[in-house]
Amino acid sequence: MAKPTSSHTNTLLSVPLIERLLSAAMEKGGEFAEVYVERNESCAVILEEKKVKSAQAGLSQGVGVRVISGAKVGYAYSDDLDDEALFRAARTAALIAQGGGSEQTFNVARTPLPTFYRLATPLKNVEVSQKVALVVRANKAAHAYDKRVKQVIATYADSTKRVLVANTKGRMAEDTQDLCRLSTHVVAEGKKGDRRTGFYGGGGRVPFSHFDTFTPEFVATEAARQAVETLGAVDAKAGQQTVVLAPGWSGILLHEAVGHGLEADFIRKGTSLFAGKENQKVASDLVTVIDDGTVANGRGSLNVDDEGNPAQFKVLIERGVLKGFMYDSLNAKLMGKDSSGSGRRESFKHLPLPRMTNTYLAPGESTHDEIIHSVDTGIYCAHFGGGQVDITNGNFVFEVSEAYEINKGKVGRPLKGVTLIGVGPEALKNVSMVGNDPMADPGLGTCGKDGQSVPVGVGLPTIRIDNMTVGGTKLGAA
Amino acid sequence: MSTHYEALAKKLMARAKKKGAQQAEVFIEVGREASVRVRDGEIEDLTQATSKGVGIRVFVNKRLGFAWTSDFTEGSLNGFVDRAVQLAAAAAPNPLNGLPDRSSLKGHANVGALFDPAIANLRPEWKIEAAIEMEKAGKSVDPRIKTFESVGAGESVSEVYLASSEGFTGGYQGTYAFLFAVPVAAEGDQLQTSYWVDYKRFFDKLDTPESVGKEAARRAVRMLGAKKVKSQRVPVIFDPMMAASFVGSVASACNGDAVFKQSSFLASKLGEKIAPSTVTIVDDGLLKDGIATSPFDGEGVPTRTTKVVDQGVLNAFLYDAFTARKAKTQSTGNAARGYRTMPHIGTNNLYLQAGDQRPEDIIKGVKNGFYVTAMLGHGANLVTGEFSRGANGLWIENGELTKPVQEVTVAGHLIAMLQGIDAIGNDLTFRGSTAAPTIRFKELTVSGE
Repeated sequence: MAKPTSSHTNTLLSVPLIERLLSAAMEKGGEFAEVYVERNESCAVILEEKKVKSAQAGLSQGVGVRVISGAKVGYAYSDDLDDEALFRAARTAALIAQGGGSEQTFNVARTPLPTFYRLATPLKNVEVSQKVALVVRANKAAHAYDKRVKQVIATYADSTKRVLVANTKGRMAEDTQDLCRLSTHVVAEGKKGDRRTGFYGGGGRVPFSHFDTFTPEFVATEAARQAVETLGAVDAKAGQQTVVLAPGWSGILLHEAVGHGLEADFIRKGTSLFAGKENQKVASDLVTVIDDGTVANGRGSLNVDDEGNPAQFKVLIERGVLKGFMYDSLNAKLMGKDSSGSGRRESFKHLPLPRMTNTYLAPGESTHDEIIHSVDTGIYCAHFGGGQVDITNGNFVFEVSEAYEINKGKVGRPLKGVTLIGVGPEALKNVSMVGNDPMADPGLGTCGKDGQSVPVGVGLPTIRIDNMTVGGTKLGAA
Repeated sequence: MSTHYEALAKKLMARAKKKGAQQAEVFIEVGREASVRVRDGEIEDLTQATSKGVGIRVFVNKRLGFAWTSDFTEGSLNGFVDRAVQLAAAAAPNPLNGLPDRSSLKGHANVGALFDPAIANLRPEWKIEAAIEMEKAGKSVDPRIKTFESVGAGESVSEVYLASSEGFTGGYQGTYAFLFAVPVAAEGDQLQTSYWVDYKRFFDKLDTPESVGKEAARRAVRMLGAKKVKSQRVPVIFDPMMAASFVGSVASACNGDAVFKQSSFLASKLGEKIAPSTVTIVDDGLLKDGIATSPFDGEGVPTRTTKVVDQGVLNAFLYDAFTARKAKTQSTGNAARGYRTMPHIGTNNLYLQAGDQRPEDIIKGVKNGFYVTAMLGHGANLVTGEFSRGANGLWIENGELTKPVQEVTVAGHLIAMLQGIDAIGNDLTFRGSTAAPTIRFKELTVSGE
């Protein structure tokens, strides 16, 4: 059995072998073939009930071969990397094209890549004991924050993923993608068994020294603060209200409300309500939305996407006007466009899809305080849980994990059970103020689509949205 | 089944013990799968794969180490066994740590066949034909079915092997085939979607492609013209798919780990009446032909049937071995896992027992209310019991489904919701591992305009 090389400097598969695999993949007459090889080494440390519960390590590796014939895609993957398994995958994917085809030869050449992240010490080479120290410190800080903190779960996880992608157009790219995240989940208990939760964390494609400044104490204190401050929260009023979103992680709303609907697969299939609306007004003048895969050390950043194309800075919506979509190479080809470097996949087990990278809203002119003061009654959304969108009808939903009432321009009592719901373009038209305080999220986000999870970044200045529907249990005039 | 993998699991387990683990467990998954999606009568993508992986869990002086790999070259396998043993040193010792003991690993549950040779030997073309048929059937329902977000079919054949140093070795083989259709209906400026699926272990139990395609299309078309409604408190009905999701939330709150940590709103309610006596929720690892049926769980404990809620009374929580030891009780055979994850508590086949009312009669009993057919968001906070999710569906007026509704939320407290279940349908059908019949809640808050 051929053993894959594991040293950092060697290539995952040799160039002659890749070229032979591409020939095999094209033997039935496909138009395009691609070989994707991945070796992903991960590590995780989990602390709960004041004890380091476990330290774990894993390795996932494999190859995926894609063959395109017209609009048809054949895909085969295997987690064996010996020659027999590799050629079996190539020949299986080849069957999507049903012609005879003569034997072709292909040459690939390495593409030089930019370095939006490149760690001197890959995270896999950092001692486990240092990772353990982070969760131990986080646990201590969360409990020290307040006696009402009852449960703390602190998790550190990282991966060092090497990918190689090569195709019959002669392109070949190889990248090492490190990623880490430290997070803390807290349950606080108040009077009469009232329980509230808090969650915070972050990281990115950053060196381990990131946690010298983004400290476990900072992470844990923020999670504990959310849980403790929302003790005694009262029910939110249901119905339409003005909402103010805190800067940073609230960008998840943008990701859900518009981001997904601008991905080229939904546009090509006509299943997104943004299809056919290029150069049309889809949001208020205050709204400029950018997807940028080139942010230094960003959680969603890519030196190269999973099809070998360079990541880009893309203006999706400019002052309310729809300017462009996010393309992978297949949808780009079928739509007569160029890839925008948005082809991403969770692993070698998945086909690439057009995806977001780091998606954010450009800053406006108002200050944070001006925005809060402008609201007579409404809700201040300080921290979000998760969200989900139905691309087709545009409905999106968010759980607001830390929310406060706004009364006569002042932030008041904590609210519980707040869910925001809206239709993407309508919500964007109702953006009435945008802050001058842009902020990227701390590196928390993972986006799911078609069962594939990829890391993403989001960002937002403080914004005000009018007439947002707020879910809750309490009826009453808002 | 392959004696090779069973022998490999035992060999790696023995190596871990030799390297210093007092207890060791090796879990191996091997499988192959194939799936297709079609568009306009042609293949859109066809995926075929083989996969395998091994997870190694060890205890060294009561410290837990875990490592996994998909690389089965001998050097890598041995390296990861050694890695698991080394990693244990980084974790804290816990006297409650350990594998399930010998007495709880005795025997396999008798679950009948899980493997269908008909699925293992399917012609490769069946899925392409089935997907094309679904697409065609869906489009035939209504000219407003413009396209499909996706429509496809596939099959999976898998094997699981487990070796535990506490005297257990075993394996089993399973199959399933599936159909899914996600059509898009269009009218004027509005697009609406819905989906319908079926997953079955046995090929002859799988719904016909025609019925899946048509049902998906029918559900999408009826949503055209959906609008918000005014905020109000009304009776709310969850269709079987949404009711299954609700039952899933309730079962998550019965996770023994969350209960032990006081992180479940049900933690203090064992033995209490939390719902009307018509409500019985069952976790069943033995269900005949069930997608989640297996002879033993992720750490070798025989699976069983657990009535989580029995005639309205909160009767049992779900446990794996570690949490059971903490809570001074027994594992319920609910250790879920894949080779990359450590055993953790999960549900087997989970369902709400059927009632005796026809679903149409449940709707007929509502003068003004909401029939929910899709929800968005995770929505249920299991620590506090608050439930709030985005919802789509049909408004009910005088016992009839009338206009489509979107962009609203339904909210309540899970306890009040359970207590407020005032009708249960006779329409329990499994299309996956979690199922429920139609249910009606006496009153929930619908937030809209």
